[in-house]
Amino acid sequence: MGVAESLGSMVKAFPQARLVAFADLSSRMILASAGPMSVTQEHLDRLCNAARTSFDDPLFSLSVGAFGEPHCAVVMGPDSVRLFLRSDTEPADALCCICDPGIDLAAFVPKIRETLESITHGG
Amino acid sequence: MNNTTLPILARLSSLQADIRVLPGGARVIAEAHDRNPVARLLRAANETMLARSLEFVSSAGPALTLDVAGRRLLRLTASHGLAGAESCLGSEVLEDEQKDDLIKLLQALAVPGKELRVISGPIGRGGAEVSVGLPVALLADLLLIDLNDVGAEEPEHEAGDVASPAPDRAAIRFSGRSIADFATGIGPVLVAWLSRGGQDDGRSEGPEEMVSHLRDFLDDEHAAVIGQLDLMSAQEGDPVCLMLGVTLIDGHSLVCARLHGTVLLGVIEGGGSQAALSAWRGLMA
Repeated sequence: MGVAESLGSMVKAFPQARLVAFADLSSRMILASAGPMSVTQEHLDRLCNAARTSFDDPLFSLSVGAFGEPHCAVVMGPDSVRLFLRSDTEPADALCCICDPGIDLAAFVPKIRETLESITHGG
Repeated sequence: MNNTTLPILARLSSLQADIRVLPGGARVIAEAHDRNPVARLLRAANETMLARSLEFVSSAGPALTLDVAGRRLLRLTASHGLAGAESCLGSEVLEDEQKDDLIKLLQALAVPGKELRVISGPIGRGGAEVSVGLPVALLADLLLIDLNDVGAEEPEHEAGDVASPAPDRAAIRFSGRSIADFATGIGPVLVAWLSRGGQDDGRSEGPEEMVSHLRDFLDDEHAAVIGQLDLMSAQEGDPVCLMLGVTLIDGHSLVCARLHGTVLLGVIEGGGSQAALSAWRGLMA
């Protein structure tokens, strides 16, 4: 399954995921995205920057010291829930999601983890 | 559309296009009717930002494998059924003087009328750190190929905003609620927390050992935490909450939230991230 197809299947399976995007955090680029939310390139850039910031100091170091290296982050604002997941094996590979606040994290996170690792290993 | 966004749009357009995947993981990048399969090959290489080994296989039989990273062709690692590959195969890193030989190989491989497939795999020889090789754009220029062929379609424009509400709207929505309400809303899965600044300054709950660790951290890093939260907000000072964990659905996770100038730092256990999500949602209700 290709990248776009993998992302599309996540959006189909979880309608509360309004955007699922594959990013290369090292180059600060969203490489592909899927979902009903229409976004501009500026939004995608901002989403990618938020992902990088989530996995940055000082809170990153606190988490590493206390619980181990974090691979998952949720950022909640007044209007949105953004969920970022980094690959276990390729730290630059990440999925960036914009979800409705009612998203079921226990169901969603393992599935996007699978999707991310599949994309990372499938190239 | 300007020159800066063109490569990005081309990449998005390409990645979102319909693709055909064959058994074994091969992806068809050029059909028999494609007029310029070399362009397809170069675009596939150009879209490969992370270090990968790309094996290009023609339905006519020949194949070659290139290590690719960051829009550069690092080296040729294998060639089958193509004459004249020896000079490129012998190089640890492709050099400028080899570009003509490489172009001949690509043209011999990607011939019109034949299907061209690519199989992506892990890079062979630690090429992720190599920053040299031949830029794909250089080969494209020599072959008069436009790598950023996005067609006539313009990208769909936004219908709504991603995460940038007007600050006054956010303030109204959260009025009357405090960071302590958020902590209460999360419930017992918030095993330790403390707050700093604003009306809830100095509040804490949980085992003293954990709270003191959080307090020491905020003593040292309060300004940096504020800066990190600002970077994730549409406007400085906006309400925002970050949860950070190995998985977020088991084990322990950090929660750091800001509301009305008060910062909460705490530890959530187990699947408490869902409770935090609900509590945050509750603040907006």
